[in-house]
Amino acid sequence: MSVTTTRTDLLTIEGLGHVYEGKQRHEAIGRLDFAVPEGAFVSIVGPSGCGKTTMLRCLSGLMSPTRGTVLLGGAPVIGVPRDLALVFQDYSRSLFPWRTVAGNIAFVLPRKQLSAAERKERIDESLDAVGLSAAADKYPWQLSGGMQQRVAIARALAYRPTILLMDEPFASVDAQTRAELEDLMLAVRQRFGMTILFVTHDIDESVYLADRVLVLSKSPSTIVASLEVNLPSPRDQVGTRELDDFVQLRSKIARMIRDQSTRRPSAPAIGDSESPS
Amino acid sequence: MRSVTTSTSHASRRARAGSRSRVTILRGAAGLLVVFLVAELISRSGIVSEVFLPPTSVVLLRVAELLINAEFLSAILATLQAWVIGLAICIAIAVALGVLLGSSGAAYSASRAVIEFLRPIPSVALIPLAILVLGNDVEMKIALIVFSTLWPVLFNTIYGMHDVDPIAKLTAMSFGRSRLSTLLFVSLPSAAPFIFTGIRIAASVALIVAVSAELLAGASDGLGRWMLDASATGNRPDLVYAATIIAGLLGLGINGVLVFIERRMLSWQPALRQTREGSA
Repeated sequence: MSVTTTRTDLLTIEGLGHVYEGKQRHEAIGRLDFAVPEGAFVSIVGPSGCGKTTMLRCLSGLMSPTRGTVLLGGAPVIGVPRDLALVFQDYSRSLFPWRTVAGNIAFVLPRKQLSAAERKERIDESLDAVGLSAAADKYPWQLSGGMQQRVAIARALAYRPTILLMDEPFASVDAQTRAELEDLMLAVRQRFGMTILFVTHDIDESVYLADRVLVLSKSPSTIVASLEVNLPSPRDQVGTRELDDFVQLRSKIARMIRDQSTRRPSAPAIGDSESPS
Repeated sequence: MRSVTTSTSHASRRARAGSRSRVTILRGAAGLLVVFLVAELISRSGIVSEVFLPPTSVVLLRVAELLINAEFLSAILATLQAWVIGLAICIAIAVALGVLLGSSGAAYSASRAVIEFLRPIPSVALIPLAILVLGNDVEMKIALIVFSTLWPVLFNTIYGMHDVDPIAKLTAMSFGRSRLSTLLFVSLPSAAPFIFTGIRIAASVALIVAVSAELLAGASDGLGRWMLDASATGNRPDLVYAATIIAGLLGLGINGVLVFIERRMLSWQPALRQTREGSA
C-alpha cells in the first residue's frame, strides 16, 4: 500500500519489518509501507502489542530493522538522524532528574554550534511554547506528570527537528491534562510548522489530532487502513468531537481494531503461539 | 527501583526530622553529658582504678591540650595526608574501572574471577607484604588504603551503572549523543548517588586502615604511631584515651563533611528530595 500525496514526503517507510531473534522468536513488524508528507500530522493507532514502539525505534535510527528501508528527506536512516526528535511515553524516565528543566532542554543544544545567548533564547522560546516559562529552574520531579511531559515536548522543540515522533506521549496523564496536551500539540504544530508522527492507542485522540490516521494490525504488524481526516481546523475539544464525520471515523477505526483483536489472522500465527521450527 | 512511596516517606521523614532536629541535638548532648558524668564518678570514686579509666574531666583536658600540641597535630596531619592521597587514588581507579565494567558485560564477566579472588583478602593481612615491598613509610599506608577502599567504590559504581535507566540512555542517543557522551553525561551522573555511597564507606574504611597500618606496621609517622608511643613508653592512659576520642571525632568529622557534600551536590536523588511547594 502506498500513500499518494501532492506534498513531498518527508518520511518514507518501505517494506519495513522486524523480527526479534532469540529463544522466543517474535516477529514484531510484518510489513509496513507508508509515507509522512512534509507538514502533516499523522497518527498511528493500533491494538496494544502491535509493535508500535519497535517501529518508532526503527524510524528514529535507535534500532536497525531486519528488513526494509526508512528514508528521511530522501536519505536512508542509518544511525540517529539530526532532523528527528523522539518524545517518549515515560517522561519521568526520559527527563534527567539531576538537571533542572532548563538544564534538560540545554542538554539537546550543542555548545559548539550555539552561543550561550542562543541557547538561552531557545530554552525560553520552547518553554514559552509549552507554557512553562516559570518552571525553568525547577527540577522535573517537582512538577506534575502533565508538566513533565510538557518539558519533554519543549526539549524536543528546542532541538528544532523537522519531524517529531511521539510514542504514546499522553498515555499516563489524566483526561483533563490529556486534552490540554492535545491542544498544545496542535498549537505547537502551527507555531513551528512541524511534521508530526503520533503513535497512540487512543482512537479519539488519533482522529482529533491528525490529518491522516494509519490503523495497525496486531503483531506482526501491517497497515490495515490509511484514513484521511477531513475535519475543520482549528479543532475544538468539544465541537470537533461531536461532528458526524468525527463520530463516524472513530467508529470505523474502532471496528477495525476490534476485528483485529478478535479475528485470528490467516497469515502466520501470532505472538507467543509461534515457535521456531 | 525507586518507588513513589519510598520517596514520599523519605521526604516526610526528613520534614519531621527537620522540625525535631534541635530537640534531637539537645537530647544527644544530654546523653553525652550523662555518660561523661557517670564515667567521671566511677573513676573519682575509685570503683575503677584511675589507671584503667582516668576521670573524664582529665581526659577532656588532654584532648584540648593535644589539639594545640604541634607534635600531635603533625601526626594527625600525616594520617590525613595518607587518607586523602589513598582515597583520591582509590576513587580515580575504582570509578574508571567501575564505569568500564558496569557498561560492558564482557569486561564484567572476564574480571569477576579476579575480583572474587582479591576481594576477600583482609587488608590487614597484606601489611607484611606491604612492609616488605614498600617499607614503613607513607607509601605503605597509601597502598593498603587503596587496596581496601577499592572494593566499595568499585562495586557501587558497577551497581550504579547497571541501574541507569535504559530510557534515559535512549533519550540521549535519540538526540544524537554519542556512546561516550551518553556515558559521561547520562550514565555517570545517574550513577553518582551510588558512587558517592561507595566513597562514604571508603572514607571511613580508609581512616581505619590508615590508623591500623600505623599501629600494626609501626609506621614512621601518624596518629596510630603516636598512640603506640604514648601507650608503650609513657604509661599515660589519659593521653591514649584522649587520642582515641580525637580519632573518633576525626571519623565523625569526615562523615559529616561527606554528608554535607552529598546533600549539596546530589539533592536530586529520591532519598534526599525535599517536598518543596507540596509537589508529589
